[in-house]
Amino acid sequence: MDLFLQLFTTGIMLGSIYALVALGWTLIYKCSGVLNLAMGELTLIGAYVCLSLYRWLNPHMAINLAFILAILITLIIGAILGLLTEHAFLRKMIGEPVLAVIMVTVGLSFFFKGTIFLIWNPDTQIFTPRIFPLKPIFIGNVVIGQVYLWSFVAAIILLVVFVSFFKYTRWGLSMQATADDEMAALSVGVSAKFVYALAWAIAFMAAGVGGTLLGNINGLNYSVGLLGLLVLPAVVLGGLNSVPGAIAGGLIIGVLQNLTGGYLDRFFPGGVKEVAPFAIMVIFLLFRPYGIWGWQRIERV
Amino acid sequence: MSYLPCGVYHQHYRSDHAWWQTKFVYGKMILLIAALLLFPYLVNPMWLSVAYTISYYIMACMGVQLLIGFCGQITLGHAAFVAVGAYTSAMMVLFIPWPKLIVDWGFAYPFSMIAAGIAAGMWSVLFGLPSARVKGFYLIMTTMAAQWITVPLIITQYVSRIGGRGHYFSLPPGTVKLGPWVIDSDLRVYYLSVALVLLLTLLMANLLRSKVGRAWIAIRDNDIAAETLGVNIVWYKLLAFFVAGFFAGIAGSFYITALYFVSPEHYEWFFSLMWVGVILIGGVGSLHGTIFGSMFVVLVFKFLEMAVIPMTDMFPWFSMKLIYIKESAFGLSVVLFLIYEPNGLSYRYWQLKNYFNLWPFSY
Repeated sequence: MDLFLQLFTTGIMLGSIYALVALGWTLIYKCSGVLNLAMGELTLIGAYVCLSLYRWLNPHMAINLAFILAILITLIIGAILGLLTEHAFLRKMIGEPVLAVIMVTVGLSFFFKGTIFLIWNPDTQIFTPRIFPLKPIFIGNVVIGQVYLWSFVAAIILLVVFVSFFKYTRWGLSMQATADDEMAALSVGVSAKFVYALAWAIAFMAAGVGGTLLGNINGLNYSVGLLGLLVLPAVVLGGLNSVPGAIAGGLIIGVLQNLTGGYLDRFFPGGVKEVAPFAIMVIFLLFRPYGIWGWQRIERV
Repeated sequence: MSYLPCGVYHQHYRSDHAWWQTKFVYGKMILLIAALLLFPYLVNPMWLSVAYTISYYIMACMGVQLLIGFCGQITLGHAAFVAVGAYTSAMMVLFIPWPKLIVDWGFAYPFSMIAAGIAAGMWSVLFGLPSARVKGFYLIMTTMAAQWITVPLIITQYVSRIGGRGHYFSLPPGTVKLGPWVIDSDLRVYYLSVALVLLLTLLMANLLRSKVGRAWIAIRDNDIAAETLGVNIVWYKLLAFFVAGFFAGIAGSFYITALYFVSPEHYEWFFSLMWVGVILIGGVGSLHGTIFGSMFVVLVFKFLEMAVIPMTDMFPWFSMKLIYIKESAFGLSVVLFLIYEPNGLSYRYWQLKNYFNLWPFSY
């Protein structure tokens, strides 16, 4: 039972980061209908930018302040990159077939990955000096690393910020309107182009913070990008066009990944942990192809 | 020239459907085959390896082209099926105690190649099963799952350890024997690759103009309409997955002769994505597209290598980063092709052909 609780708590905390990245993914899909396969690379970009900023800022100020400032600047850079990407590549693909749009994001993922590792060293890098203390926290019998705890807090804060942004601000409402019915939104004067750009900017921001947090846990290398890909099973579980679904899916994937890692690794040594979310997703798809909260589309000829 | 002149009509449906309708096409094909056969004697031997890499890409991408371009089932896990083929073939050649007669006559490798095709086909059908229920993005996810389950888990963690070999199986020279020929030099690998590509292209082109091919194209265009017209879409989708997997298996089985070893790093997700990129650059829904796309991608990589390697003396930094330069260039070219030439290279070829058909008297 202790082991279960332990795995479960860590899973929830890891899952909150996936939820953050998945939120960005769903947003792009809801607003502009683009199925983005470059999400892993978006997390990498944010993580590497934040790492460089942190290393640059660190000698000048306190560790915590440097990290917070680095994350804030990463958010701004992420937003700018998101706007640029949307403007340069995705805007030209409006109205093209789905496969073409998906493959543009795949091409972008190659481009981003290549460019990232042209600029930064592909070896594993860690955030030095450590931002979060190594000393774990005990809650009952459950041991939680402080990295996980603070990542969880940061992810929850950002999730709340993003969700309240959709609910209470003018821009957020216009995004909801576009996601709901694009034609109707256009007819009442919402600029669809602006909404698309905003969705990409927010996705870059969310993915960047998610990547930074993931990079803090295990060190930063290409595998952080692969973790970023885990948002895809998460959004499929939750239903593609549901924001709460994405958040729940992220949490579920985090927990399931940890549980399979903890319990099944004895029987299937090796990479069960990385593969389990995909296997679970395939089985899930056979029974409920539109996810937990997704819309079931009815097709006509 | 490749079309019949104005006012000349076919008298039978069969001749209307024939591939080679005019003498010009016969001449063109004979020239093409002669060029392929003479190619090794005309160029620097370095280009042989480039040529058989192109052939490997063509074979692997043919299946992707079938699934995406002709059946509308998007796949992002094709490298997994190629890997299954490669490993089946390598393990059959290495571990099965073949009777001496079969080894002497050089049948072991061809048998293993066919078995590799069938194994990869079955593996592909297994992951194509969800296509009965889901499509579009969800199907992408299941094929991606095929990649993640097959290569990093099953092959890297379990299959690679068979026989205590740890990382890769090596095929000692002389193991791969095809009939009387031992495939042990670049030249022989090249000829094998040409033969296989010609054979597979013929097979695919014939499949596509048969009942099966028409059913696939109907499913691609509108699966619900196809179903109402009486096409058994589940059966034909699974058949498409089988044939695509079969081609992938043959491709994998071929490539072990060129590499002399099998290792999981040749079948990473990168390659699955790249092969989809190849058909997009070449043109979706066209067999020419597969060939042009493979040539384009392999040659661009080669030229990048040739451009970067001389510079490594001055900037040693470059040699470390070559793979990332390649990836970046490939990604950018896929994106630019999709934005500015969504029909791919095969469309350009078609335009060129039409221009010369009417040349010099265009209407």
